[in-house]
Amino acid sequence: MIRSFKVEKFHAKIISKSTLFKVLSYLDKQKITTPFLLIDTEKIKENIYIIGKNIRNSKVFYALKANPDVAIADLVNQQDIGFEIASEGELKVLSSLDIKPAKIISSNPVKSIQFLEMAANYGVNYLSYDSIDEVDKIAKHAPRSNVYIRLSVPNEGSDWPLSKKFGVELDDAVRLLSYAKHKGLNPVGVTFHVGSQCTNLYSWNIAIDKAKILWDMSESKGIKLSLLNIGGGYPINYTKSAINIDIIEKNINKLISEKFPEDIEIHIEPGRSIVGDAGILVSTVIGKAKRYDEDWLYMDVGVFNGLMESLGGIRYSYIVENYKSKSKRWTIAGPSCDSFDVIDQNITLPEPDIGYLILILSSGAYTISYASEFNGFLIPKNILI
Amino acid sequence: MIRFFEKEPYSPIEYTYEVQSVLYKGKSQYQEILVVENPYFGKILILDGIVQLTERDEFFYHEMLTHIVMQAHPNPKRIVVIGGGDGGVVREVLKHKTVEKIYFVEIDEEVIQISKRFFPTLSSSIDDPKVEIKIMDGADFIKKSSTSIDAIIVDSTDIIGFARSLFTEDFFSSAIKALNQDGMFVTHSESLHFHLDIVIEVQKILKKAFPLVDLYTAPIATYPGNWWVFSIGSKKLNPRDIRRPFEIKTRYYDDEIHKHAFLPHKLYRKLMDKKLIW
Repeated sequence: MIRSFKVEKFHAKIISKSTLFKVLSYLDKQKITTPFLLIDTEKIKENIYIIGKNIRNSKVFYALKANPDVAIADLVNQQDIGFEIASEGELKVLSSLDIKPAKIISSNPVKSIQFLEMAANYGVNYLSYDSIDEVDKIAKHAPRSNVYIRLSVPNEGSDWPLSKKFGVELDDAVRLLSYAKHKGLNPVGVTFHVGSQCTNLYSWNIAIDKAKILWDMSESKGIKLSLLNIGGGYPINYTKSAINIDIIEKNINKLISEKFPEDIEIHIEPGRSIVGDAGILVSTVIGKAKRYDEDWLYMDVGVFNGLMESLGGIRYSYIVENYKSKSKRWTIAGPSCDSFDVIDQNITLPEPDIGYLILILSSGAYTISYASEFNGFLIPKNILI
Repeated sequence: MIRFFEKEPYSPIEYTYEVQSVLYKGKSQYQEILVVENPYFGKILILDGIVQLTERDEFFYHEMLTHIVMQAHPNPKRIVVIGGGDGGVVREVLKHKTVEKIYFVEIDEEVIQISKRFFPTLSSSIDDPKVEIKIMDGADFIKKSSTSIDAIIVDSTDIIGFARSLFTEDFFSSAIKALNQDGMFVTHSESLHFHLDIVIEVQKILKKAFPLVDLYTAPIATYPGNWWVFSIGSKKLNPRDIRRPFEIKTRYYDDEIHKHAFLPHKLYRKLMDKKLIW
C-alpha cells in the first residue's frame, strides 16, 4: 500500500530526500504497529564523516546517551570513532560489542563508585571531574587515570543548557588540577560544554578563551596540559536550518590554532549531531478534539515515551499522512493522562484521519533514551534502515 | 502574466515559468494534472506541481532515457515501458526496427488522455499495433510478468511520491526476473546536483538485484538540478557498449553521445564513495 504524505519545502531543510525515501518505502511494505523510531544508517555515516573533519588533531567520541541502541553503537564503532559514556549500563553496551577501552572516555564529572571501578577494570582511562570529592573517588577506584577538569562556560546560545549543574570557575579549576596531581592522577586537560543544540557560534569563542586562560594558569603552576575536550553541542535542524557543522568547526579550529600549542589534542563528543537527524519517529494519530478554539491532535508518542525534550523547548517538524485536506493549527499532545504531555502548539498541518501516520523528524537523539512506559504506553524501538 | 512555481521541495532553486495560458487543470485519482502554454517552451505537462515535459526540449529526456539500453542491447524485441503516459518513450522505442512488442504500463489513464489531447506528437505513438496498453501499477505488472523481456524502461514521477514503489529492491528483483539473458533495465533517478543522495541510494538498491549497475547523465534544462541521471541495471552486458549499428533518426542521442553520456569511472567511484560532496 502506498501512503500519501504531505511533503513541503521546509521539510527539505530537515530531512534529506534519500532518508525520506527510505522511510516512506519502509512504511509502504510493512504492516505497521506504531510507535517506532526509524534510523537511517547512511545518514549516521554521513554525519560521522563530517564531524571532526575541520578540527586538527581531533578525535570524535559518540555521546552514547543520545541513543544507546546496540546496533547503532555497532555501526558507530565501524566508522572508527570512539564513545563517551557515563554509567555501567552504557559501558555494558560497549563491552557487549568488544569495543576497545582506548576508544572510550567518560566526561560525566560525577561518577558512581561502581562505574569508576567497572571503567577502571575495563581500561577506560580518560575521566572528567570538577570537585575534590570526585578526585578522591577517582584516585581510590581508578588510580593513575588521565583526568580533565570541567570548566563552567555560558550556555546562553543553546536550546538545552547544561552548565548550571556542572563546571567550576578558573581559580577552582587550577586548584583541582593541582589536587588531582597531588593524589597521583594525571591531569591532562580541560573540558567544557556549551550546551546541547547550541546555535550561537560565539559560545565556542567564549569557552575556548576561558580554556586558554586556564591552560596558561595551570602551566604557571607547573601543570602542562595537552588535551582540550570541547564537549558536544553541535546543532541539528529541527524546524529551521541551524549553523553548519563545518562553519562551527572551522571557527573552533581557527581559535585553537591561534591560542594553543600545535600538538594539542582535541576531543569532541557529539551525540545529537550523529543520530538526531538520522531518526524519524513514526507515530499514529489516536485522537482529535476541539477544546474552546483549540484543535487538539493526539499521537501515540508523547512527552513520556519519546518526546521529553519538547518540555525543554525542542520543537519538532512533522509530516502527516494524507495531503488532501486543508491545513489547521494544532496543539499536539501525547497519549498519556498527564497534562504535561503536550508536545507543541500552533503547528500547521493538514488534518489527518484517526489512524493515519504522523512522522516526527529529527527525533533520533534524546528521545528513546529518555523514554519511560508511564501510563502503560510503550517505548518506541529503534529500527535501522 | 501568470507564473507557475514548480513545487519540488528538494530543489534549492525554485523554478518559475511564464504562463501564457492554462490549457488544462484537473485532478486524477492519483495526481494533479496541469497543462500550460509557455512562450519559450511551448506546452508544458505538469504533474503534482512538477514539470514532466515541455514541447521544446522533451526529446533530450525521452531519447536519452530510451536509446542507451536499446542500442546497448544486441536485439531488443520485447520492451516494457512503465509510466511515461505522454507516450514519449514509446515513440522513441518504436524507432528501433527490432522491436516486436511494447507493453506500455501506465497507472494513470488520465495522463494518457490528456497527452492525446495536448501532446499528439508524443502520444500518437501509443496507437501503434505493437503497443499494448496496460492501465495498472508498473510494479504489479512486472511482478506478474513471466514473459521474457529485453528491456524495461521506467519513466516515473518524483521518487518520494506514489512512484516510489518503482525504486524498491522488490521491484528491481522482479524486474531482473522478467528480463532475458541480455536484458537491461533503466530508470531516471533525479539530479546529480540536487539529489546526489538519491542517485547513490538508487545505485545501491539496483546493485542488490543486478550484477551490473551503472549510470549516465543528460542535461535537462527543465528538471530541477538539470544534470539528470539515468540508472541502469544489466544482467550481463555492459551498457556502455553499443551492439548494433546506429541507424535511427534522433536529434540529440547518437553513438558518440552514447559513449560520452556515462561518467568517467574515477568520477563515478568518487561520487559513490561520497568523496565528492557539495
